[in-house]
Amino acid sequence: MTKESIVNIKNLSFTYPESSTPAIDNISLNIEKGSWTSIIGHNGSGKSTIIRLMNGLLVPDDPDISRIKIGDTILTEDTVWQIRDKVGIVFQNPDNQFVGATVTDDVAFGLENRGVSREDMIKIVSNAIEAVGMSDYANSEPSTLSGGQKQRVAIAGIIALKPEIIILDEATSMLDPEGRNQILKIVREIKEKYNLTVIAITHDIDEANSSDQVLVMDDGKLITQGSPKEVFAQVNLLKKLGLDVPFFQQIKNELCNNKINIPDEISSEKELVQYLCQLNSKM
Amino acid sequence: MSKILIGRYLPGDSLIYKMDPRGKLLATVLFIFIIFLANNPITYVIITFFSLVAVAATNLKWKIFWEGIKPVIWLILFTSLLQLFFTVGGTVYWHWGIFALTSYGISNAIFIFIRFTVIVLISTVMTVTTTPLEIADAIEWLLIPLKLVKVPVDKIALVMSIALRFVPTLFDETFKIMNAQRSRGADFNNGGLVARAKAITPLLIPLFINSLSTAIDLSTAMESRGYRGDEGRTRFRVLHWSKFDLCNLGYFLILTALLVIFRTH
Repeated sequence: MTKESIVNIKNLSFTYPESSTPAIDNISLNIEKGSWTSIIGHNGSGKSTIIRLMNGLLVPDDPDISRIKIGDTILTEDTVWQIRDKVGIVFQNPDNQFVGATVTDDVAFGLENRGVSREDMIKIVSNAIEAVGMSDYANSEPSTLSGGQKQRVAIAGIIALKPEIIILDEATSMLDPEGRNQILKIVREIKEKYNLTVIAITHDIDEANSSDQVLVMDDGKLITQGSPKEVFAQVNLLKKLGLDVPFFQQIKNELCNNKINIPDEISSEKELVQYLCQLNSKM
Repeated sequence: MSKILIGRYLPGDSLIYKMDPRGKLLATVLFIFIIFLANNPITYVIITFFSLVAVAATNLKWKIFWEGIKPVIWLILFTSLLQLFFTVGGTVYWHWGIFALTSYGISNAIFIFIRFTVIVLISTVMTVTTTPLEIADAIEWLLIPLKLVKVPVDKIALVMSIALRFVPTLFDETFKIMNAQRSRGADFNNGGLVARAKAITPLLIPLFINSLSTAIDLSTAMESRGYRGDEGRTRFRVLHWSKFDLCNLGYFLILTALLVIFRTH
């Protein structure tokens, strides 16, 4: 059974005004509802550009050829605000997306923009703050919060709007490992709770390895896509693009090069360790 | 250093803290006008008494208010001395050239001294008990009539609140840049005025560029979160009048009434 598609992009191209080469070069892709998709690629490969196109912050070169469909809605000038209700983005820099003077004010910002009544806002805001575990800091000012806490507030601001898709634009790259794990844990929780689709731009290879789908971008092109197992098996391609490969994949690859065959279905460090132990005991 | 804020707000929970910032701001502004109703010793005693009661009602240390007066104490003393020696009229006690010590001069000097001091005291009461954000909200409320002449009051309010929110962020940024420049040998503390002014340039330019990129990021985030101007926006933070504001109003009206009754007509 094929799952419902939530993001469908066809022939998407985009060139920045001051540039001669396209930042996004004729990309088509499909993202399933309820999935977790990681986009990897080195800096300048077009990862951030493609998500900014997805919620209409940028407009494709030729809107007649390029088509972006979010759910049942095709992104046009008229539907852009509708799309932004469905797609929430958590950006990289925790400080530069904190608009409100306090945590509650910031979470309410998106609701204020949509003309939600104050009585409803109070309820929605406190629920959203609770969902990210920031209730104790509801009246704190941003300068007293850590980067991870600010990102949690940004997530609360998005779930308050009940979107269908949450995009993490390197949202954890400026955080310490603890903050990063907390954010990922919260996103996993709310993904289940609200049946969200997650699209994460990331440099964290382990995070990519635990997602449902991985997209690899380079120079504005979609180089390869598939399950982490399929993508990370292409060790040589990824190395050529200057990207990391999960550690167990590197070992698996080296073992294969040394004529020790590891079955394809091994897709985590744990499985590999188990397999190697058993392999040893047979000898 | 990220705790630096505009104003001198000090947390507390006395009566004055519970008053609406709009009432406090209005009372402070009007106070500066009604102070001119005082024109004889008894009215000045009344106004001093009412100010001191307001100061006491904050339940904060007196030292804080002294800190408020200290920066302007010389200005107050200088103005009082001018009054003391240049006012003519009444009994002349002493005179030399253009200087004269008269009974009018003495009373005027005391009046001016009281007038300045209570204005500083009352505005200190306002700023230490009201957060900058509340003051911004109150200013916005005072600006509402300007909507009639198409002044974008809501946008100004958003700008004020974002500006306040980014003050600590920019301070952090400044210290980061300062440390980065210091680690490469920049010297901000020595040399003459010109040398120091020059040392500021490598601080200001990165700060300015950072602020611009922050502004661009912020506008992207705001747009992505559905901000499209004031159209159809609702407000989350609203101010409520309460019974404490009746105290404020009552206190103010009694003061005005007493001044009107006891002033020399």
